[in-house]
Order: sequence, then C-alpha cells, then structure tokens
Amino acid sequence: MKKHSIATALVATAAVCGAGAAHAQAAGEVMVKLGWNKIMPKVRSTELSAPSLPGSTIDIKSASALFFTAAYMVTDNFSVEVLGGLPYKHDIIGTGSVQGVGKIGSIHQISPTVLLQYRFLSADSPFRPRIGVGPTFAWFYGSKGSAALTAFTNPGGKPTTIGGDTELGVTSELGASFRIDKHWFVDAAVLKTFINTTAKLSTGQSTTSRLNPVSINASIGYSF
Amino acid sequence: MKKFHVLTTAIAAAAFLAGCGGNDAGDQSPRVAFKSMVTFGDSLSDVGSYAVGVVKVQGGGHYSINGIGATGLLWTNWTEFLSATLQLSAPCAAETGLTPVQGAVPIVGDETPTFHDASNGGTCTNYAQGGARVTVPIGPGNAALFNPADATTAGDAIGQLTIPVKTQIANYLAHNGGKFSADQLVTVMAGGNDIFMNVGGISAGLETPAQAVAAMTQAGTELAGYVNTQILANGATHVVVVNLPDVSLTPYALAQTPQAQGLVKNLVVAFNTALQTGLTAGASLVYVDAFTASEDQATNKAQYGLADVSDPACTTSSSLVCTKATLVAGAAAPASSAAPATNANTYEYADSVHPTPYGYRLLSELVSEQLAIKGWL
Repeated sequence: MKKHSIATALVATAAVCGAGAAHAQAAGEVMVKLGWNKIMPKVRSTELSAPSLPGSTIDIKSASALFFTAAYMVTDNFSVEVLGGLPYKHDIIGTGSVQGVGKIGSIHQISPTVLLQYRFLSADSPFRPRIGVGPTFAWFYGSKGSAALTAFTNPGGKPTTIGGDTELGVTSELGASFRIDKHWFVDAAVLKTFINTTAKLSTGQSTTSRLNPVSINASIGYSF
Repeated sequence: MKKFHVLTTAIAAAAFLAGCGGNDAGDQSPRVAFKSMVTFGDSLSDVGSYAVGVVKVQGGGHYSINGIGATGLLWTNWTEFLSATLQLSAPCAAETGLTPVQGAVPIVGDETPTFHDASNGGTCTNYAQGGARVTVPIGPGNAALFNPADATTAGDAIGQLTIPVKTQIANYLAHNGGKFSADQLVTVMAGGNDIFMNVGGISAGLETPAQAVAAMTQAGTELAGYVNTQILANGATHVVVVNLPDVSLTPYALAQTPQAQGLVKNLVVAFNTALQTGLTAGASLVYVDAFTASEDQATNKAQYGLADVSDPACTTSSSLVCTKATLVAGAAAPASSAAPATNANTYEYADSVHPTPYGYRLLSELVSEQLAIKGWL
C-alpha cells in the first residue's frame, strides 16, 4: 500500500506543478529504472480437460519482484522502453469444484515487454505522465507440483508435473515520472496485459487460462 | 551506441536470471506425516482377506480386476491408491481366511482364519472384509447362508468370514492396546452388504420395504456410533468416513425393475442420512460424500474418463476372482489412447457392484480432495 501512496502523491503533486528547469527526457536521452513490480493475474481458467473432476479450475496468485527498465527518448515525446526483471513465482491454487484444496503447485515466469510510449508535457517538465503500448513475451518455466496435484491426477503413480508455454501478449501502460534533480527521478506505472496461457499436466489434462494481469510498480530512475 | 548497450545489457540480464529450473514434481509429502493407515469396512476396502485357497489359486483376492498392473494402473483398491498418495507402504489384510462348505468348494489348506496384525507379529492394519456388514456377523458369501437346495446360495459356499465392522474395530483395539494414535489415518466405509441382505430379505418375504428402510437407518446410526465411541473416543485424530455410493446405479440394481431400483436408493439414502446425522463434524473427522460423486460419475462419465458406467468389465459373476484373462471383449481391448493401458480403465464396474481399478482410483481422488481441503494432504 505504501507504493500506492507514493504513486498517488506523485500524481497529486504533478497536478499542481508547472514547468520546471531544463534537461529532462529530451530526444536522445537514455534512462534506466530499478524498482518493485507486482503482477496480479485476473484469471479465468477453462475446466481442466478429462479425465478430471468436472468443474476443476485454477487461480494463479499475485507475485512481486525486482524489475528494471531501460528507455530511449526517440523524440521529446516518443520513447521506447524495455522492461525486464527478476523472475516472478506464482502459486497455483485449485478453484471451482476443487475450491478449498489450497496450493496445488507453483510456476515461475518472466515477461519481458517492449513499450512504445508517448510522454505528455514538454521535455523540460519535471512531471511527465505517459501512455504506452507494446508486446509482452511471457515465458513460463520452473513449475512445481504437489502431493495434492498428484493425488488428484495420478494417485500412486509418477508425480504429476505442470508444463507452461511461451506466450505473446499485449501490454498497455499508464505511468508518470517526476524529476528529483538533473539525473534522478521517481516513477510509477500501472500496466494491463492481455495474455492467455495453457497449462499442461504430465498426465495429459490441460487448462487454458486467461491471465490478463494488472501490474503496478514504483521505481527510481537515472537519466544519462 | 553506448546508450543501446544499456538496453541490451538489461535484456541479457533478464534472460540470464530466468534461465534456471525445469518443471519438477515439487514436494510430494502430505501435510500430515502419517505413519500408517487403518481400514475398516467391506469388499470396497478389502485388499485380500480371502486371497487364500481357491481364490488364491485363481489369482484373486481383490474385488476388482486382480493382478497389480492388470489394467496399467499401479494399484487396485482405493485404500492402496490412498496409502501410496500418503507415501505409506501398501496396505495388507489384517486377517485372512475362508470357511468353505465342505465338499462344495475344494479345500486347498491355507484357509484357516489367521491374523497378520500386531497380535501375530505382523504389521497389516486393513481389517476390511468382503461381505462384512456394520453389526450383523453374517453377510453375503458367509457359509452360514449356503443351502444346497437353493442354487442362488452357491456363492456362499466359498465361506467368506464377513467379520462385521463392529468386530473389526474390536479386534484392532484388542490387538493394539485399546488405542489409536495421532499419526494414523483411519478409514471407514461400509453398509453395502446391509443393503444387499435387506433387499434379499424383502425378496424372500422376510420383511417389508419399510422395515428394510428402518434396518438401514439403524445400521447407519450404529456405524456412526462405532466411529464416535470406538475410534474417535480411543485416540484417533484423523478419521475418514466414506458414505455409500448410489447402489441404485450399479449393474446389480440396473438389472432390476425401476421400483426395485427406487427401493435400493431409498435404503442407501436412509443409511447415509443416519450415518451423517450420527457423526459430529470436527477437526478429527472427514466425511466423504461418495454418494453424490457416484451419481456425478454416471451423469458426466466422459469428464471422468469413463465410457461404460452400467456394464461389468468382468465375465466372472464375482470380481473376487476376476483377472485380465476374464474380461468382456470391450474391456479387454487395447486402449485407443496411450493414457489408459486397456479399455478396462473406461469401465466403472468390474462386476455388478464393485469398481474397476480405475473406478477405485476415482474414489481415492475424491477422498484425497477432501483430505486436501481438510489440510491433511
């Protein structure tokens, strides 16, 4: 919640701020950011395919991790930003007819994203709100199953594993940065990604989930 | 160009950090570290009480398709699937034996009832026996029911022990210091043989349907009483009670008139209602609704991977001696897909009332789901 407060404060401050000093986010500049990002999937999964208990669905929980970006100002207003970061580890829990069984596994994910951004106000404004859009490549890997998952899908047999795919999605961004001094700035953004993935169990069943996560992040940046 | 280096470095770093770890099974231990499983019940939980004498000669002992791996699954009975899930060694029958009727069945020599539990230096704790009722000592297959003049009692000549659940629990307590322990999973599932005996009683004109319903209510109340006063009150903290599946959907009932099927269903409901009413929900008890699940399996069979929920997979009248060699053509056929090893895994029933190994596996999955919700798995 603290990060929310920072972001809110930034926007509020910005609303009453006029133009500031020179040198910020002008054409040709490169900026890097380091911060904390929380991904909150808004899952709607299809029923796990047969053989399975009818109505077995899953939810994928939120995860947070360190993230970093690098942006290049193409013009005073247009920029390209690349987002990367440490892997996210999401817990997978049973829902639908298996509601209540708790965690049945986990999966890691990285989702590098490239955004084409438009930054409002002038290059020397200390406050630069922006919108962005671009592709996200989500790579799912490093999954773990559980005793419960095996018990539901292959009791007494070989432990069940979860396989994920690499998926392509689209991310939109609403963000803002606020300059502190000549080089340093703080930044916050909300991103919405439109992406689906299919989880396949080693026992043959699969479920396709619409993930469509919302991400919120706050970071500190440095411009060269 | 220097600025682009920053971009490429960031991308490379992201790729590097992600490049670890494949998909693995994760921690397969249950949340409660059980040390053993103790089972009371009837044929649905029996793992070989009668795997002696003529039954053993025919490769039987489980009320299903006999032979480990016969259908490509590793286990046969739901208690075996469940103990494997709990990382325990396979359950074994706490008492074995037969009392065959002399002359009617060949005597092979090892039929004398023998305990394999703590009373005899053994570690077997599955007391469930085919034919066992809740309280009454004589159930289906018991030699006492054999009548040479009545061909329909021929199956009773095999001489199943049919030790009722009440006595199974008493035997356990007598052989184990009168106590259960917190690291045991205790399973209880019975009542089916009370159904069959009461249906038989109505057919023979010995009782009215209303009396049969009252008898089933009494059996359900008694079973709940044994769970409360003999199991929970003696130290068990992890008890699973499975209610009766809908017997009116079995091939046994489907072969009868709609009126008879309705009666069977009434008997099952009377038993289950009394059982559930008699049990007190609590931290030590999991009540598994196999009744609802069995109806759902019949309605949504494809989702469960089932194709046939109304015909027996075995050609033998009792699955006690059914093996891979005695399957109907449809069940013996190789599977069309790689997942089930034979078509037998698409049949719910092995004989008129007992599940195939796959049917038992579905029951174990249902029980596991409830254990997971309880936080024990």
